[in-house]
Amino acid sequence: MTALAPIRLSSRLRANQGVLVVAALLVILLIFGAFISDRFRTTSNILNIFEQSTGLALVSLGQTLAILTGGIDLSVGSMISLLSTLTSGLIAGKASMVLPVAIGILLLGLLIGICNGLLIIWLRVHPLIVTLGMSAVLQGIVLLYSLGPAGSVPPGFNFLAYGKVLGLPIGAVFILVLFLLVALFLRYARLGRYIYAVGDDEVGARLMGLPRARVMLTVYGFSGFCCGLAAIYLTSRFSVGQPYTGLNYTLASITPVVVGGTLLSGGKGGVFGTLLGVYLISLLNNVLNFMDVSTHYQLIAQGLIVIAAVSVYVEKKKRV
Amino acid sequence: MVDVSQASGAEGPAISMKSRLSSYALPIFLIALIAISGIVSPAFLSTSNISNMLLQVAPLGIVVIGQAFVIILRGLDLSVSSVMATAAVIATGFSGQNSDVLSILLVAVGIGIATGLVNGWLVTKRSVSPFLATLATMIVLQGFRFAYTQGAPSGNVPPLFRQIGSATWHGVPYNMMLLVVLAVVFGVVLAKSRFGREVYITGGNPTTARLLGINADRVTIIGYVISGALAAIAGLVLSGYVGIVDNWVGRGFELDSIVAAVMGGISLSGGQGGILGGLFGAAILVVVFNAVLLFGLPVQLQIIIKGMVIVLAAAFYVRRRI
Amino acid sequence: MLNLSGISKSFIGVQALSGVNLDVRAGEIHALVGENGAGKSTTIKIVAGVYKPDAGEMEFEGKPVQWARPADAKNAGIHVIYQEFVLFPHLSVAENIYLGHERRNRFGFVDHARTRQDASDLLRRLGVDIDPQILVSELTVADQQMVEISKALVHKVKLLILDEPTAVISGREADLLFARLAALKAEGVAILYVSHRLEEIFQIADRVTVFKDGAHVATKDIGDVTRDRLISMMVGRDLKDIFPPKKPKGEPGKVVLKAENISVEGRVRNAGIEVRAGEITALAGLVGAGRTELAMGIFGGLPMSSGSVWIDGEKVDAITPATTISKGVGFVTEDRKGQGLAMFLDVAANISAANLSAVTRNGLIDRRLENEIARKEIDNYRVVCRGPATSVATMSGGNQQKVIVARWARTSRKVLILDEPTRGVDVGAKTEIYRIMRGLAGEGIAILMISSELPEVVGMSDRVVVMREGAISGELTGANISEEAIMSLATQHPTGKVPPAEVLAQ
Repeated sequence: MTALAPIRLSSRLRANQGVLVVAALLVILLIFGAFISDRFRTTSNILNIFEQSTGLALVSLGQTLAILTGGIDLSVGSMISLLSTLTSGLIAGKASMVLPVAIGILLLGLLIGICNGLLIIWLRVHPLIVTLGMSAVLQGIVLLYSLGPAGSVPPGFNFLAYGKVLGLPIGAVFILVLFLLVALFLRYARLGRYIYAVGDDEVGARLMGLPRARVMLTVYGFSGFCCGLAAIYLTSRFSVGQPYTGLNYTLASITPVVVGGTLLSGGKGGVFGTLLGVYLISLLNNVLNFMDVSTHYQLIAQGLIVIAAVSVYVEKKKRV
Repeated sequence: MVDVSQASGAEGPAISMKSRLSSYALPIFLIALIAISGIVSPAFLSTSNISNMLLQVAPLGIVVIGQAFVIILRGLDLSVSSVMATAAVIATGFSGQNSDVLSILLVAVGIGIATGLVNGWLVTKRSVSPFLATLATMIVLQGFRFAYTQGAPSGNVPPLFRQIGSATWHGVPYNMMLLVVLAVVFGVVLAKSRFGREVYITGGNPTTARLLGINADRVTIIGYVISGALAAIAGLVLSGYVGIVDNWVGRGFELDSIVAAVMGGISLSGGQGGILGGLFGAAILVVVFNAVLLFGLPVQLQIIIKGMVIVLAAAFYVRRRI
Repeated sequence: MLNLSGISKSFIGVQALSGVNLDVRAGEIHALVGENGAGKSTTIKIVAGVYKPDAGEMEFEGKPVQWARPADAKNAGIHVIYQEFVLFPHLSVAENIYLGHERRNRFGFVDHARTRQDASDLLRRLGVDIDPQILVSELTVADQQMVEISKALVHKVKLLILDEPTAVISGREADLLFARLAALKAEGVAILYVSHRLEEIFQIADRVTVFKDGAHVATKDIGDVTRDRLISMMVGRDLKDIFPPKKPKGEPGKVVLKAENISVEGRVRNAGIEVRAGEITALAGLVGAGRTELAMGIFGGLPMSSGSVWIDGEKVDAITPATTISKGVGFVTEDRKGQGLAMFLDVAANISAANLSAVTRNGLIDRRLENEIARKEIDNYRVVCRGPATSVATMSGGNQQKVIVARWARTSRKVLILDEPTRGVDVGAKTEIYRIMRGLAGEGIAILMISSELPEVVGMSDRVVVMREGAISGELTGANISEEAIMSLATQHPTGKVPPAEVLAQ
């Protein structure tokens, strides 16, 4: 989008003003943080924020696509719990197992996501119900597998979470590349455009003969894949997976999406807003940490942000 | 329009012959379930086990009553578990004597009502999806609870709550009596009162309701308030059942109450179903969980079964829309 | 090209189509006409793969076909322009036009610059000036229709189906459409054209098929029929037997409802209207002219940006449905299922729904009283059902409509607004609804009827108010009421050249 007519530009700005608000909030928080603590300003702290946001960014990326189609994926939390427990459980400290297990975990995530998609298509039940049910099933399975932390990972495995390339955290760089690729996919691939169309008007998409089934399988499969990535990352970060690792990620993954301006009803939004949302939340938690605010209140802050965001973005209420 | 008949019990006006027939499906299923469980494991039908199950039905049933109002209004309430836990924490927050029972009741129900007001306000005035609105209040309330207890609640539940939550009178638990009273009161409100009629019309189609001069927003907000208040009462009853309170009392009740309601024929697309159906759903759920344990199956199977039931029940009453 | 034989389809107790035949040849424009509820839309949706027929054969290009989904029909070369558009509000005009046929670069990626360019060329060739970059939701209804039409031109279509394309456009845009259709016809495309406007059918069609009550009546070459013959085939009887006699000439009734300076954002501009006791006033105009919005605004169902309403000379302060209902106003909505009926409740509950106070005792609904009232109204309006406890979802459109009219007639002792009161209703029920309306007017109620069917407007109303592009463009009374006069007010072409003026809505 280079040569935009002036009218077009202004209407685009209007449409994206939410994202501008988020970006402005980011800047304000940065300035605020800088005043609060000297340590906040250090490079290592800023890199720390990027590092901490990796897991959330991964899950939210998949969640964004699901929400763009007008659906939602509530199974992400349990999926991460299951996949991360399996990661350390199956690797069981053996370096030779790392690669095969990692590939297996990613495929399993993809497979579970595709199951979600198939159930949504076949049963014609709302994604909310399907993924809620899937979430319970997966949570039960992971608890059958292990009631506590399972297995272990070889010493070098934490490289994924704490390693750096060219002085930058690996995870953060990976995130930027992945988000860019998905953004390009959404904009330049036909299937990417269909994701928006299905979310905009599902009945219309059917009448137009658009491949709704393929769209659903893609977005839920991708969400599962992202959970696989997040599970591996979190296992690397915490050195072990346990059956409640992903517990908080279900709501947490939705927050940046809605904060970033993607409509819960689908059809509008994008991954760029989500990334800003992820950084905003990580930054907020970081600043609250520096202010010595307990995690309990951070929870409250997060809930309030969701409420505020969904209230701001709400489309003009249609009467009659 | 597909077949609109639904399993129904005490509910309103539109009960055709066909749906009257299908309303027998739930009790038949429940009895069959109990019979099979009793044959597989005779211990299932022992007096102590039955009384145990009855004790477990009440807290869930009370939540389901509130959930029924919200779901019939096209919503759903995920904050009930958080309200329950908060109420339970409040129950131990005073001296632990019976003299504080009234204060506890007022504070707990007050919190439930406040949560319901916020939920209803977000859903109606801000058009937030019920799922997200109640999820957010659930988290916020959880944060307040953690901050209040500093992570570890202590203190005792007043003896009266213990009595109501876990004692029986000639084998009938007191909490079951409470459930029956609440079910009758709210059953009449939903099925017979003018407000109940407005609930069905609003839930069936909010636009229609508005054009009929019904204050759809107010009806919806009251629905969430009922759900919040009943969840608080359920939390107190549950605190009396478990005796020791932690931050997570009532965890899972949000899912269980929705599963029970959906199994009981309360459609997530709104406008259909009734309280009796929801209570049958709750009873079926408790029987299944109990049977899983009694058969020596791993407790995790409960969660898996719950997940499958929620999807299958929704597919059974196939309706696309939340 | 397309051949349907013996196609039947029913929905929950309602037979929409019973054994209809239809054949459309390559290189012809085939008009399909019939009243509302004749089965035209159902037929289109079967051809498009949206519905599966219960019985009958469908052949396309000489081969028997069965579509499992709309995509199958589309891939076979069938394109449908639906009356309710299939446009994606959050996508741009260009993207909407090429959705499913994306312009791509050599790497297979969507080429947005080319999409814009091609869309711009396409729209220019069609003769309309629409910026391909703006979102579809920002277009006027007429421009949205032109975008819909341009979608049919981006790929090779063998059969083009248009459902009421001129319902929202007229004059120049309609001429552009006809020119384009003539070109497609010359290329050998088969065109199935559904329209209410008989004049344009005589202008462009080669053959015409008439449906009535879900059955095939006749297929004729256009040269072999006259307009009057076509109407009598569609209606099945003479018009004068359908409409009850009008109010005898004399003093105009007292003004019961007065609205001034009503504006509804984007839809209605400073409109005023007066509705009189004992009269039927029609609100006419093209689809999208703002008629429903004006009436809804007055009723309180839509937020107004300005305007005042008086009922019986008394100014209404807070205009909401609750207050206007309490002052004796009722609104029979166009969309029965979406806005009128409580679909999950029974007949009795639906009749009492607008006035629950009347059946409430101590906060509880007096079910016995409610049933009694329902039984009385069922007799009164000859509603065909099994009794007060019948679920309205299982009833036919005509009977559902009677239930709604019965509901409002109980409370609306001053003004009754009816929006497209006979849409989706069979001829028999239609006649009864006309009688009921006239009867209510006879009781002194002021009736405001919104209708797109000109014969209905002409046959029923004592007074006609015409809207055009959100504003009132004129009023007709008595002998001045004619289809031509209404159309010219609705489209208002300055040159005096009469556009496809003679619109016969079914």
